[in-house]
Amino acid sequence: MDAPLKPLLDRISATIDASPHLLRLGALVDDSVLLEVDGDAYYLTFHRGRLENIACGQNRKTPWRFAIRTDAAALEKFWQPLPEPGFHDLFGLVKLGRASIDGDILALVKNLRYFKEILALPRTGPRA
Amino acid sequence: MTHTIEAICGRYVTLDIAGRSQRLYFEEAGQGRPLLCLHTAGADTRQWRHILNDAEFAKAHRIVAFDMPWHGKSLPPEGFETEEYLLTTETYIATVLAIADALGLEKPILVGCSMGGRIALQIAALHPGRFSGFIAIEASDFQPAWYDIDWFHRPDAHGGEMGAALVSANIAPHAPSAERWNTLWMFMQSGPGVFRGDLSFYTRDASLVANIGLVDTSISPVHILCGEYDLTCTPEDATRTHKAIAGSTLEIMTELGHFPMSENPKRFRPYFARALDLVDKTGA
Repeated sequence: MDAPLKPLLDRISATIDASPHLLRLGALVDDSVLLEVDGDAYYLTFHRGRLENIACGQNRKTPWRFAIRTDAAALEKFWQPLPEPGFHDLFGLVKLGRASIDGDILALVKNLRYFKEILALPRTGPRA
Repeated sequence: MTHTIEAICGRYVTLDIAGRSQRLYFEEAGQGRPLLCLHTAGADTRQWRHILNDAEFAKAHRIVAFDMPWHGKSLPPEGFETEEYLLTTETYIATVLAIADALGLEKPILVGCSMGGRIALQIAALHPGRFSGFIAIEASDFQPAWYDIDWFHRPDAHGGEMGAALVSANIAPHAPSAERWNTLWMFMQSGPGVFRGDLSFYTRDASLVANIGLVDTSISPVHILCGEYDLTCTPEDATRTHKAIAGSTLEIMTELGHFPMSENPKRFRPYFARALDLVDKTGA
């Protein structure tokens, strides 16, 4: 089972725990999200804004509210401090055809600032 | 303790627009050739704060910006409490023409961003000669929504906060943090359903596509500006629109997005100065 992103996701989780601002933004986030990168699956379980569990590997039995699917090269560009046009935003990746969002997109949109900010954390912190 | 009082003056005007009385807020600065500035969807006049405060531009221009009905400090019309706000091309044009008349703006230059740029081009097509030039920023003939506009008016979520999070996609990463958040704050403050009602016009009314060929730049020059980080009106959208308007000019702006005058005023200034110079020189 490949899970190259696991260390980075652990660091994102720790950063969230240490960020009152993110915990306040995500106070009502209680969802499971599938992040799929180059086919590697990460099931992210959020509780009250904390990223409480990261389960790696495809598992059809694991439910998720919405899924973000992308590739590692796109994420590498996305995580540059000053990304090139299109790679600067999650929806930009979708528009470029480098990411897709499936499932209950409204659950994402209702907490869009929270999810955007935690996905962008590697721009200012250490990367994998 | 130091303090600064800005040159911008704000007032209210009550006027009839399409048969309805509206109380609109407007700001102005400077004297000279009038410049009428239109804000984007879901926002207000504060987007123009840096242009209005620019002493160089104000030397030779009377710069005016106003909050559309339902936006900023302009009240919605009487009876709004049971009304679904949906902006239309007709009402939008009537609003722009009414305020230009009410404020005594003689053949102003019309400057609009996003939906303001769209309506500026529509006015260029349908009301030739009424304005002496057009600066259309983040403007195109049409592009459909890449989102669901109904997300932004729901009883179970804050439309303003969702709208701000969505439009943050259109701000270049180079924007100074303070100006990025000033820009997003306006969307957060937007009245319930107002951003959605603006987007109804912006993403569903394709009437400019048929009218774009009517724009006659020999009567009034048209200059289009587009930020390279704009996901909504992309440089491709702006280029297509530029090619459809014979005699128009276009500049793609680097390190800028959909709200250039507000998200990164220093970066935007030289582009705007060139646009104004071009329109000042060639306008009637």
